[in-house]
Amino acid sequence: MLSNQSIMNCLMKVKEAIGEEVGVYTSAEVFVTSTSTRHASEMKTLIRKLDVNDETALDGKVYYRVEELGRLQYLVTVDDTPAGRTVGKMTVLQLETMLNLDQDRYDKDNFFKNLLLDNLLLVDIYSRANKLKIDIHAPRVAFLAELTARDNGAALEIVRSLFADDENCYVTAVNEYDIVLIRQVKADEEEKKLLKTAELIADTLQTELMENVRVSYGKIAEEIRKVANSYKEAKLAINVGKIFNPEANVISYDSLGIGRLIYQLPLPMCKLFISEVFRDQSPDKFDEETLTTINEYFANSLNVSETSRKLYIHRNTLVYRLDKIQKMTGLDIRNFDDAITFKIALMVVKYMRYMEDQNI
Amino acid sequence: MAGLSLKNVTKVYSNGFVAVKDFNLEIADKEFIIFVGPSGCGKSTTLRMIAGLEEISAGECWIGDRLVNDVEPKDRDIAMVFQNYALYPHMTVYDNMAFGLKLRKVPKAEIDKLVHEAAKILDIEHLLDRKPKALSGGQRQRVAMGRCIVRNPKVFLMDEPLSNLDAKLRVQMRIEISKLHQRLGTTIIYVTHDQTEAMTLGTRIVVLKDGIIQQVDSPNQLYAHPCNKFVAGFIGSPQMNLVDCDVEESGNSVAFVLPDGNRIEIPADKGEILKNGGYIGKKVCFGFRPEDMDEAPAGTPNTIKATIRVYELMGAEVFLYFDCAEQNITARVAPSTEARPESEVYFSINMDHIHAFDVDTEEALF
Repeated sequence: MLSNQSIMNCLMKVKEAIGEEVGVYTSAEVFVTSTSTRHASEMKTLIRKLDVNDETALDGKVYYRVEELGRLQYLVTVDDTPAGRTVGKMTVLQLETMLNLDQDRYDKDNFFKNLLLDNLLLVDIYSRANKLKIDIHAPRVAFLAELTARDNGAALEIVRSLFADDENCYVTAVNEYDIVLIRQVKADEEEKKLLKTAELIADTLQTELMENVRVSYGKIAEEIRKVANSYKEAKLAINVGKIFNPEANVISYDSLGIGRLIYQLPLPMCKLFISEVFRDQSPDKFDEETLTTINEYFANSLNVSETSRKLYIHRNTLVYRLDKIQKMTGLDIRNFDDAITFKIALMVVKYMRYMEDQNI
Repeated sequence: MAGLSLKNVTKVYSNGFVAVKDFNLEIADKEFIIFVGPSGCGKSTTLRMIAGLEEISAGECWIGDRLVNDVEPKDRDIAMVFQNYALYPHMTVYDNMAFGLKLRKVPKAEIDKLVHEAAKILDIEHLLDRKPKALSGGQRQRVAMGRCIVRNPKVFLMDEPLSNLDAKLRVQMRIEISKLHQRLGTTIIYVTHDQTEAMTLGTRIVVLKDGIIQQVDSPNQLYAHPCNKFVAGFIGSPQMNLVDCDVEESGNSVAFVLPDGNRIEIPADKGEILKNGGYIGKKVCFGFRPEDMDEAPAGTPNTIKATIRVYELMGAEVFLYFDCAEQNITARVAPSTEARPESEVYFSINMDHIHAFDVDTEEALF
């Protein structure tokens, strides 16, 4: 269905060109819009009378049918004058073109949604892509924008508008929170450019909506059937980013680090690992001071002097705290091997907490 | 218009990373305040907490007389300008500015009024019918600002809005933003890692490091009286020269002894501070700005002897680079200097403007 705004824009352009008033009703006899206020009150019960004819003259007016796939969509009304009839026919043509474009967009929207959600057979992907004139061999990347609040259509509109001049971009909403941009890129597109696009989406959505937005992107898909993989990678990047890199609101599938591995672990194995490392002393039970000490010690590359300076404590106090941690867990994080085990275990705990919060 | 108050604000992410620690700041109405610091210092996180895009882990954020910790970002009456901006390519300037308001279902007449008011402030009324392609870089940036101005917010938050622009446009836009602040009379909080931007735009500057406020002061005060070694090194371009040296007392005078054995006597009042602080016989970090160095005849007492490594003509001035006890030193001198690479030069230092920092705490002694 076309928006009233776009129909009004079309009518205004026709009126500008010819200088005649024109109005449009829906098939349900509802007034849509007009260049003149009088059309709103003129509608009579006409649908049945206009069932057969494309053009009907009645009470000094001429009515034209606008159909889509054989079904009446709109009625265009003009004064019964030669100029009026010209305007009427032009408006019908214009509305039919707009409906075709809208249908085309709907078809593409459907195609990409089904492609991303793996709802298409391989053979259908190629045949439907060809039918919709979508280049099947062009490399593409899926960018995923995840909103914190349900989208009422504004976010989708913003992203579509942002890339409106790029005919090789496609934007769709896969659910109420996730908007996907599928962008055609060069096969060897620089990471910098992909990051820039992701940042642009994040910053624009945040500016317009004043809402926290996370944006991620997958790897370059060499052809159309692999676009779903790029989308899945972007989805994974968002989730891994939320757990292990919560301060970043743009994240690439290519920069997930060890978080990528931990995210793939089955929960029973994680539980086994944690009980092996910490026995009954889960990091959940550590007090805030201990956790801050551990995090700062890791952040400062196991450097005692630098860590104590950052924590505003004496070096000996830090050593005392590290000894305490060793007594609690049996791990001496001044020792490189123990530090690695501890660091990974902390990440696993974070992952487990996230999964529990998600009720997975 | 509104002032802002941040009380003991802390941000701890779910992975335990502490981005901002105990941040306290009062921002007056109509103030242009700058958050500056190296990347990862917590400046953008603080701004995002004010905007409501990040949750505040502890502390309070007040906008005007309203506690906004639990207020949705869109209800905080603020507008935010980010680093990455793009105009909607198929829309005119008018539509670009009106787009956000349309999405918020603002009545048409109201949109028209707001867009024209913002266009007047930005001096882009004559561009309203143009598409972005027909605009210069500076005009586009102004339209991007316009998209925020039309919202008529109480506070503007700007997160490195100029960092993607080329050097020339950046300078031009810096002036534009300064003018804009005067015209709008709104509170602006501006984040940058560029100390030149900070110095030229802000009425007050907040220097941050590792999520902790180092110093809050006017640009002049920050430059002349940095509170610690970090601020001293961060503010000023080229940065302050910092050399670790010993403090010695001989007779009534106190002197810095540089690692190469060179003695630099310091004024009595400053010597007194070092004596009272128990620094005689200990190391301190000696700081002096490149513009406080002058070429002096050979053999002049209280000078640093240098073999010039690099000569950089900047037009109105020359930067001379040399090493002193494995520290890189920069001197800013007049273009008439005859010093060239490999030449030997003696520099005197304006002792009224010298600084000293504790080597352990890095706090300023004077």
